[in-house]
Amino acid sequence: MATSSGRGLVSHDTQKRLQRIAVYLTALLISVFTIIPVYVMVVIAIQSPATTFAGGRVNLLPTEPSLRNFLVLLGSTDTVRYFVNSLVVTLGSTVLSTTIAVAAGYGLTRFDFTGKSLAARAVLFSYMFSPIVLAIPLYVVFSTLGLLNSHFALTLALTAISAPFCIWLMWQYFQTVPIALEESAWVRGASRWRTVRDVVLPVARPGYISAAIFAFAVAWNDFTMARVVMSRDEMYTITVGASLFLDRVSIGWGETMAVSLLISIPPFLIALFLQRYLLQGFSVGGLE
Amino acid sequence: MSTALKSRLAAAGSALRERDVDGTTLLLAACFVPMLAFFVVVWVIPIVYALGMSLFASPVRNPEFVGLGNYAELLGNGAFWGFLWNSVVYAVATTGLSLVIGLGLALVINQRIRGGDALRTLMIFPYLLPTLVVIFMWKFILDPNIGILNQFLVDAGLIDKPIAFFSTLEFAMPAVVITSVWKFASFAFFILLARLQAIDPDLYERARVEGATTWQAFRDITFPHLRGAILIILLVRGIWMFNKFDIIYLSTRGGPLQQTTTLPIRVYQLAFSEVNFGMATALAGVMFFLLAGVAVVYFRAFAPEKEVA
Repeated sequence: MATSSGRGLVSHDTQKRLQRIAVYLTALLISVFTIIPVYVMVVIAIQSPATTFAGGRVNLLPTEPSLRNFLVLLGSTDTVRYFVNSLVVTLGSTVLSTTIAVAAGYGLTRFDFTGKSLAARAVLFSYMFSPIVLAIPLYVVFSTLGLLNSHFALTLALTAISAPFCIWLMWQYFQTVPIALEESAWVRGASRWRTVRDVVLPVARPGYISAAIFAFAVAWNDFTMARVVMSRDEMYTITVGASLFLDRVSIGWGETMAVSLLISIPPFLIALFLQRYLLQGFSVGGLE
Repeated sequence: MSTALKSRLAAAGSALRERDVDGTTLLLAACFVPMLAFFVVVWVIPIVYALGMSLFASPVRNPEFVGLGNYAELLGNGAFWGFLWNSVVYAVATTGLSLVIGLGLALVINQRIRGGDALRTLMIFPYLLPTLVVIFMWKFILDPNIGILNQFLVDAGLIDKPIAFFSTLEFAMPAVVITSVWKFASFAFFILLARLQAIDPDLYERARVEGATTWQAFRDITFPHLRGAILIILLVRGIWMFNKFDIIYLSTRGGPLQQTTTLPIRVYQLAFSEVNFGMATALAGVMFFLLAGVAVVYFRAFAPEKEVA
């Protein structure tokens, strides 16, 4: 290659430098594209609308931070109740999904049976499945059983969409946990149950923290299932409740961005403190 | 009961206890019963029930068996093919753009640039932020009255008057696509970055010693290692985007004039605006079989179950 011997159109050094510039430029462009919407949300949330829209233009350099938008949310909307509903179904489905996944992952890697690849395909098929295509049948069944507008039904529906990936993750995870650890416990006379409690669960911790984070994110992010299962205002989760805010005359962009900021707190904490568990989940495929 | 039978029962019982002295059978049940019960209750029963429903006209109020009538009506209507086309356009555009951005950024961060770790953390946000929040951000940015993009474009003299992106025929789909790409590019990014970091650095060192250019190294080392992941992203992300409901519903409700109505939006409209559960379950059925078809291709081409079984 001509360039490598320095006889090309551009010298090797120039080529390296250009490449370096291209790399940083790409990084910069994508950072700006990612940061701007988040920045806009935060600024509008912490300024009063009077400051933000002063002079008929949007002012995005915060000069007077204020809690006004949050106080309006607390005073004139059901934001708190919506958050409580979200927390109930999110925690419920996170625990349910993770429990099913840990049990299934352990069983699928420790017991032999025929049809394992069929089971794997069933898990993967449900993992690829469409929430709205599942929501319609679930609505029909819940409505027949009189379960619409209940935390229980929404918890089940959310578990339905998060459990397949959690099972897949734990299945992969338990394959990396050597069975020799358990065997040495059995040899020392521990029962299979004690082995599970004292040996398996502690070793599997990083795996089930990952699974729990994905289950949590699915449920917290959910709009589809809650929209379909809950039709009464007092049962709305925060995403469904807040989605109707902009239709109201009394609520403007200030309050809308304030509620967005509140909804973003759990994801923000996960990104800061638990990201290595999240990245581990991506190494086996990630989730919708 | 005869003594012989009693003793035989006792023997069988103790044999069972002996075999299960450490609770293995119980453990087996504890592992599989929750998963099986879960799949039957929230997947198998609802789907079978809904597929059954799709064979009836007005299945809720006064059911009348029509066989495949709903399906015939659905597929015979030209509108269906329009919605299918919208779904394909949306899926291809969002998946393609997310892949390009995700791949670009993964290659950049893999160069160990300054600030790379911070950029990686930053990319977690779009993925984790709830769809509703993402919609609010972009509705504000693209708003015709106060949106900062319109403000910028008007100031720069690129347009004369603000554009209502989400409610204009030619801009609605691009606006929804941009919003979706903002959220989903990180999915491709994280998967590709994981693959890139698993490549043995010695390969690059050897290529450099042999005088390969950056492009040759990419073509002969990087790309072959990423090919599988790229195909899986195209397939799985493509299926998810084809079936995406919330992001389109929250941004345009399928409008203007059904311009962004994809099949998932149509299912929702049929069920909850038009309260026609016969047609809604039939469309859900069609989508179910489409998905099953793609899954068969996926299993044939990649045998993903080999990773565990």
